[in-house]
Amino acid sequence: MYKTGDKTSPISVILVSSGSRGNKLLFRYPFQRVAECPSSLTAKQRSPYALNTAGEGLEDQDGDSRFSDIILATILATKSDMCGKKFELKIDNVRFVGHPTLLQHPPIIQANADPSVISCMHNLSRRIAIALQHEERRCQYLTREAKLMLAVQEEITTVTESEAHADGNPQSPFRQILPKCKLARDLKEAYDSLCTTGVVRLHINNWLEVSFCLPHKIHRIGGNYIPPEALECSLKAIRPYHALLLLESEKALLSQLPLDCSPAMVRLIKTCSAVKNLQQLAQDADLALLQIFQIAAHLVYWGKAIIIYPLCENNVYMLSPHANICLYSPLAEQFAQQFPGHDLPSMLAKFSLPVSLAEFRNPLEAPAQEAQLIQMVVWMLQRRLLIQLHTYVCLLVPPSEDEPGLRDEDLPLAARVGGRSLSTPSALSFGSPTSSDDMTLTSPSMDNSSAELLPGGDSPLNKRMTETLLASLSEHERQVILNIPAAQNPEDLRMFARLLHYFRGHHHLEEIMYNENMRRSQLKTLFDKFRSVLVVTNHEDPIISIFQSPME
Amino acid sequence: VSYSPALFHIVVGSLYKPRANILYYSLMTFDHPSFVLHTAMGKKLIGCPVCIEHKKYSRNALLFNLGFVCDAQTNTCALEPIVKKLSGYLTTLELESGFISNEESKQKLLPIMSTLLEELNATGACTLPIDESNTIHLKLIQLRKDPPIVQEYDVPVFTQCKDHFIKSQWDLTTQQILPYIDGFRHIQKISAEADVELNLVRIAVQNLLYYGVVTLVSIFQYSNVYCTTPKVQNLIDDKSIQEECLSYVTKHGQKRASLRDVFQLYCGLSPGTTVRDLCSRYSQQLQRVDERRLIQFGLMKSLIRRLQKYPVKVIRDERSRPPRLYTGCHSYDEICCKTGISYQELDERLENDPNIVVCWK
Repeated sequence: MYKTGDKTSPISVILVSSGSRGNKLLFRYPFQRVAECPSSLTAKQRSPYALNTAGEGLEDQDGDSRFSDIILATILATKSDMCGKKFELKIDNVRFVGHPTLLQHPPIIQANADPSVISCMHNLSRRIAIALQHEERRCQYLTREAKLMLAVQEEITTVTESEAHADGNPQSPFRQILPKCKLARDLKEAYDSLCTTGVVRLHINNWLEVSFCLPHKIHRIGGNYIPPEALECSLKAIRPYHALLLLESEKALLSQLPLDCSPAMVRLIKTCSAVKNLQQLAQDADLALLQIFQIAAHLVYWGKAIIIYPLCENNVYMLSPHANICLYSPLAEQFAQQFPGHDLPSMLAKFSLPVSLAEFRNPLEAPAQEAQLIQMVVWMLQRRLLIQLHTYVCLLVPPSEDEPGLRDEDLPLAARVGGRSLSTPSALSFGSPTSSDDMTLTSPSMDNSSAELLPGGDSPLNKRMTETLLASLSEHERQVILNIPAAQNPEDLRMFARLLHYFRGHHHLEEIMYNENMRRSQLKTLFDKFRSVLVVTNHEDPIISIFQSPME
Repeated sequence: VSYSPALFHIVVGSLYKPRANILYYSLMTFDHPSFVLHTAMGKKLIGCPVCIEHKKYSRNALLFNLGFVCDAQTNTCALEPIVKKLSGYLTTLELESGFISNEESKQKLLPIMSTLLEELNATGACTLPIDESNTIHLKLIQLRKDPPIVQEYDVPVFTQCKDHFIKSQWDLTTQQILPYIDGFRHIQKISAEADVELNLVRIAVQNLLYYGVVTLVSIFQYSNVYCTTPKVQNLIDDKSIQEECLSYVTKHGQKRASLRDVFQLYCGLSPGTTVRDLCSRYSQQLQRVDERRLIQFGLMKSLIRRLQKYPVKVIRDERSRPPRLYTGCHSYDEICCKTGISYQELDERLENDPNIVVCWK
């Protein structure tokens, strides 16, 4: 079991009703507390760093076994004024989370866990409650099931009162309820799914679908989970130049979709490819870019896809620090099966130094070999074995030696730039999947930079533009830049000035290329010409690196 | 964060109406249970009900509950032990001298509660004199995450200035190994030089890790390879990290290193480049910078990360023995530490073996 796995699994599922005839525990699963206590709980108590209250021995039973049915019914019964809102009660090490609705509420117990896990559990509780409410109104489903459950319970208790069991163990009434009661089976299934895959799919009364996923279980890398808030943050920062990489085959994904899913989703899955960016995907699938963003975010949230930069020969990849490179890992086996004649460690060794896909190209090799290489890279990306490196640039002017008072590194560039909004296009909400801006399918450009600078030398308008852009720098910085030999060429200087706001180390080469409609070679040449004031480094894109590595 | 203690079993009663007593009695089957109840009004109630059965009480039992009311978002884990402790104290007081059931002494509860509220909110600790012979001491203790396992090849380094460290607060083992924690000695070396058993050193360092006094970095060698992480930009964006860095890495007695030089040095670290390479390429920038402290700081703040070498024996035929250490799970650091051979030796051995590939990550 994963270290955090136990803290994301519920201890049990309970259904309690409270009405004019008192409180009743309708159903609970698992029936009895099995001895496999969540290791995280006992570990907490045994850890030398935890507070040990007197009397807590290792034999202490954790979880809900201490709570008898009657107690549970009493504790969890609520008045009507608490209905429709989140219910949360923690007793010692056990936490109850539920959503009371008029007549019934299904709470789920949970041990000490992350607030985000708790709110996810509450979400599931609420969804089940809503479905039950609907079915109750429609055909009194819940009342019927409740009656069934109570009837079975009474039957069992009268039986145990009149007969003694040979082994002395009382039969759990809930066990008998299972085969007779669909709702009980649904609750059991919810519990089982939550404990294993984290994906729940129920059909209440064989009619209403309740689906739910616990991102903490789905998004795991190296034993840690990605917190949903971080996931959402990343999803908001996606740009049109990113691509969507499916984690399962097209066929497998399509077969998992419910019958009434949106046709847009199907189109997207069919048109999606690792070499296509989201903008192209929108064109090919004939969908609005906003829709693409929303569906992509949905797929990512459900662990069916990740965001990458589209595959191309200039992409530079390196081994992920979290890659499992063990000889005996299941990944190695799968790789050998998928690509006979190749072994994973040898392949991974090739990515020990950052390498671009172009470097693999061998003109003497058959094109089929190249295609296989792409497949292998995609395979490795899907299993988070590789990270992509991008080039980032930062403006840092050599400090002046003879004027000790002058501190150019005083303020970060952004502050000195003043009122002009120089944040990335996300300020124009291009990348936000929740924005409702009308997104064009052409390359976006900044407000008053590129488009307005006319080509053709030294026109006074251009000169003034360049001056304005450079005005954000300190006097010393401006002097140093203007003294660079390349600055004597007005075209180069203009390009430099116009791209100035990208040189804060937060925008990689490909982003500048996309936003400014420039070629890689153009940019690289510019960086080279102005290298005396620029510092260049390569690392992964923090926006999408969340999909490769767990949170610190 | 504000806590307001209140004798609120009345409040709970109104939520549970006629079942108030049943709630308490049900909870009484546990040993001093504490409970946290979320109300609909955006608040949390934390309490620990007590029930003392005796003929002298009306209804043959005394029920009471001293608890806290907090905002729903407040992290209240640290309050639970306090609530339990309080209930224990009050129970003892009641059993010894009828503190709560007596109308006169009951009045003292009010000033006690306001002291509790004030002091806990202010300092996180509280001293409550009850009467001449009884004083209650309470403290909010924050639970921390379990620390990671400390390996023999890990290097502990102080997160704050070592001089601020008060030795006498710590156990003898920790005091003994303290002089050897210099941010460069690894656990195995500390154990050997301080003459303390390896496991004891590990546990002591783990303890220091837990309290955030030290953090772990990897062994420094000039043959090491590092690369930048996205966090390296923090050096430019965050003024406080900048200040800290420049004072940390500047050589003793030298004028403060410039941000540009230091940033260039960090950015000069990349896969395939050893520290030795860096020193020869950037000798001008290193005039005022201590490269060992540069690496140390970079690792502590996650501006850079170390690339480790992992040898993997790619099995060619069924007959050869399965590899024990060359499986891709053990780094050079670990192998050298465990076997006692040097990096160079290991390199030489592996270079001549065509069945071994090396992965860096």
